[in-house]
Amino acid sequence: MARKIVLCRCEDVTLGDLEHCVARGYRDIEEVKRYTGFGTGPCQGKECLAAVALQLARQTGAAPSKIAPFTSRPPLSPTPLRLLAADPAAHRFPDDPDDTDDTDGDALDAAAAAPEER
Amino acid sequence: MTRRLPLAAPLRGLPTEVSVAGATVRGFTGESVAAAALASGARVLSRSLKYHRPRGLFCLEGHCGGCLVRVDGVPNLRACQVTCAPGLKVEAQNAFPSAEVDLLGAVDFVFARGMDHHGLMTGSAVLNQLASRVVRQLSGLGKLPGAVATATPPVAEHRVDVAVIGGGPAGLAAAEATARAGASTVLLDDQLRLGGSLRAEPSAGPAAAARAEEAAAAAGALLLPRTGAIAYFPEDAGGVLLAASDERAARVHARHWIWATGGYAQNLAVPNNDRPGVVALRAVGRLLADHGILAGERICAIVDPAVRRHAQATVDALRAAGAEVSVLDVSEVDTVRGRSGVTGVDLVDGRQLDCDLVAMAALPAPATEGPRQQGCAVVLDPAAGGFRLVTDDAGRTSAPTVWGCGDVCGYRGPREAAADGARVGAQVARALAAEAT
Amino acid sequence: MLPGQELDAGVEDPEELRHPPASSPARAVPEQAEIAIIGGGVVGLSIAYHLAKAGLTDVVVLERGYLAEGASGRNGGGIRQQWSTELNIRLMQESVELCRRFATELGVNVWFRQGGYLFLARNAREVARLTRNLELQNRCGVPTRMLEPRAAAELVPELNLDGIVAASYNPTDGILFPWPFLWGYARQAQARGAAVFTHTAVTGLERAARGFLVHTTRGTVASRRVVNATGAWSGELARMLGLELPTWPIRHEICSSEPLKPFLRPMVSELTSGLYFSQSMRGEIVGGVSLPGHGATRAMGSTLEFLATYARRLVRLMPALGDIKVLRQWAGPYDCSPDGNPILGAPRDAPDFFLACGFVGHGFMMAPIIGKLYAQWLGGAPPHEVFSRFTLDRFRDGEAAPTEKEDFNIG
Repeated sequence: MARKIVLCRCEDVTLGDLEHCVARGYRDIEEVKRYTGFGTGPCQGKECLAAVALQLARQTGAAPSKIAPFTSRPPLSPTPLRLLAADPAAHRFPDDPDDTDDTDGDALDAAAAAPEER
Repeated sequence: MTRRLPLAAPLRGLPTEVSVAGATVRGFTGESVAAAALASGARVLSRSLKYHRPRGLFCLEGHCGGCLVRVDGVPNLRACQVTCAPGLKVEAQNAFPSAEVDLLGAVDFVFARGMDHHGLMTGSAVLNQLASRVVRQLSGLGKLPGAVATATPPVAEHRVDVAVIGGGPAGLAAAEATARAGASTVLLDDQLRLGGSLRAEPSAGPAAAARAEEAAAAAGALLLPRTGAIAYFPEDAGGVLLAASDERAARVHARHWIWATGGYAQNLAVPNNDRPGVVALRAVGRLLADHGILAGERICAIVDPAVRRHAQATVDALRAAGAEVSVLDVSEVDTVRGRSGVTGVDLVDGRQLDCDLVAMAALPAPATEGPRQQGCAVVLDPAAGGFRLVTDDAGRTSAPTVWGCGDVCGYRGPREAAADGARVGAQVARALAAEAT
Repeated sequence: MLPGQELDAGVEDPEELRHPPASSPARAVPEQAEIAIIGGGVVGLSIAYHLAKAGLTDVVVLERGYLAEGASGRNGGGIRQQWSTELNIRLMQESVELCRRFATELGVNVWFRQGGYLFLARNAREVARLTRNLELQNRCGVPTRMLEPRAAAELVPELNLDGIVAASYNPTDGILFPWPFLWGYARQAQARGAAVFTHTAVTGLERAARGFLVHTTRGTVASRRVVNATGAWSGELARMLGLELPTWPIRHEICSSEPLKPFLRPMVSELTSGLYFSQSMRGEIVGGVSLPGHGATRAMGSTLEFLATYARRLVRLMPALGDIKVLRQWAGPYDCSPDGNPILGAPRDAPDFFLACGFVGHGFMMAPIIGKLYAQWLGGAPPHEVFSRFTLDRFRDGEAAPTEKEDFNIG
């Protein structure tokens, strides 16, 4: 029987994985997130962030109040692209069918245009 | 195992049949696929991403990733947030040939104590290319949707004095208070039913939830159930909260924001705490109180001492409904037993208890992602179960015009959360009145 | 079924021999170093690793945050050879080779997968641009080919071909998983004697009798040579020495979907909108889009404008993704340069201050080869032509030193 204490069920991150990660020198919660993958699955940390942060405090000896949560990213829950596509904030490119107000030109050069040109 | 209680829950709805992994499951139009599947004895709903461990529902609140299934061709939907409808086709994910019998479950045994995939098979180029190919084939959860999505209606827009996020006891009370004071108020809630943690309170909970909902609506608040907050974007449209139901997105602009998002049901750190049949005690309470489903006959309730008092009411109700319940302190537990379903709990003193359900009673983790996007300070507080929202006595957060009440500020339970919501709602009404003069 | 190392949660971990800690423990920086590399992103770490591998180990890397905090940890992991200038094409050919060998050479998986890059054109101007680039790429030995829309749909059956007139496809381009790249470089640089300090901010930089004094939050390093690998902060660091760089930071946003079973082989990009997306090794659809009209900023917040634009363009191009859910959105900083090419080498008025910046969002894919070339040069070999072509001085000398403009910075 595989005896695992699961902290993050979305990404199958166990307490052993966290200990291993800390032993490797990844102690910042953002680093731990990236190394173990915890908090990057469908629940985005709702089930695991508090548990991992409290374990991290225990394992590193850090005061809990010194541990910050990882950045809260949109969306707060998984959201279908088709609902987001309807938002009026979407930029209209020249070929967009209901293009009304925009002639921003070629996106290809957008990143490379000098600031005064932008 | 699981059984429906003779008392029909008021919100059970009409009987219907859905297909779950090829089997016909009888449910009701007012309950979720997860609840119906559980009531019919189906525990394993999917397999986990990496080790292909069998997984089932845990929180029943749409927040964990335990019950992801494919519904009518759309992958990765939470079975606990999809209501039963005639002909609905529900399929398991990430399993071959089925969630119950998944050959890839072998991964779990090969890597019995864990796997650092970062160093896996880097010994030679040939091995590494093989590993890459295998890992790619194993990756991902659901399959691409079978059909092209239907068109989307335009985004709704709400401009209000007060937006309340969370329709549990605190949020409903806060919305009632601001609406009654004359402030235009919209309340967003991501659950199937309004009432939040009240709906997990045995006996009186659902009725109290209905009363709170009626009071907020009567006061004039616009209540939007099944509509979750998606994100707060400070740079767009002068600061906008995006929300969405299954069918439509909405933009919310408000002068004041009240976060009453409560806390997420959490697990406890014991071996095999992810087995199907390990369920949050709050979910067990919700099934009993709100759905009339007794989730197990022999239940081990593993309890964090910090919530023992709150857990007791649910334990009593489960016993009254005929279940045999052993209440265990988390420190007594050596491991949960069972694979595709729990069969018992082994204790550190060597005793072995048999059970068909393990109910985890942990401090809920405050749901602070939203307020964090508005710049509100939080602090990791073990006594609060996680990162609680920092508020002053009036409920003000560190961000202007943003307030918090209820369990999001640290666990206090439904009764006190409601009182807190009413109090903070009154404070917000006062702040609005002061702005008007 | 998968043979592989089983990790032991205890102290006895044989892998630790191959994998020393990711970053130095909380201690002061050394008083002296031959080379101080400022910026522990992929560019700085690649230089450090290649230096250490060549035996030059008196090297200290100073990273303000954690590994992967900056743009190196925030990009989509695309590695392509479809560029518009010969030099960049040739550099990327070598980078691809280094990516292929990375996992076995450094002992960490980066899941490099050569699924190709598919660029989609919607008008004659875009087709002409792809064609021109393709001829150059073919001359360099990159097997790019033009595809009819129908052939593009054979590669990606979910594509909505409406409005697509042609595509270019190079099967040897690919994607990788960015984070382990940094860990691999950092560990192996340290295993060979270099020092990597995370959570160590540079607070001051001044010239000294013999090189520079680099003041940090963990003390001061006297360093004979300094490398500026600070990405979007390159101008700020240079200014500490009184040097003006023509670089500017912009925000580039990106997002990731829920994980899906593998179905999408290539990275797909449409020129009209700068939309790009690929399926990561974890199964997520990861991508971004251009947002014209935004100026210099180091703001890293997420916007609805991006999310809506990306969703709109993606669902239009891949209608089957309409019901796919976005899981996470974030942003990273691009360090832009006026001609779209990086700024490398040392300026003539600061001969020991080496620049490795201005990559316009493509520093990740360039880093393997740039780090290797830098290490060769700093180790005593004659400088590769990139160090004379992509100098800071090219912007000071105006017409005297023209550099071909790189016009294929997508997204």
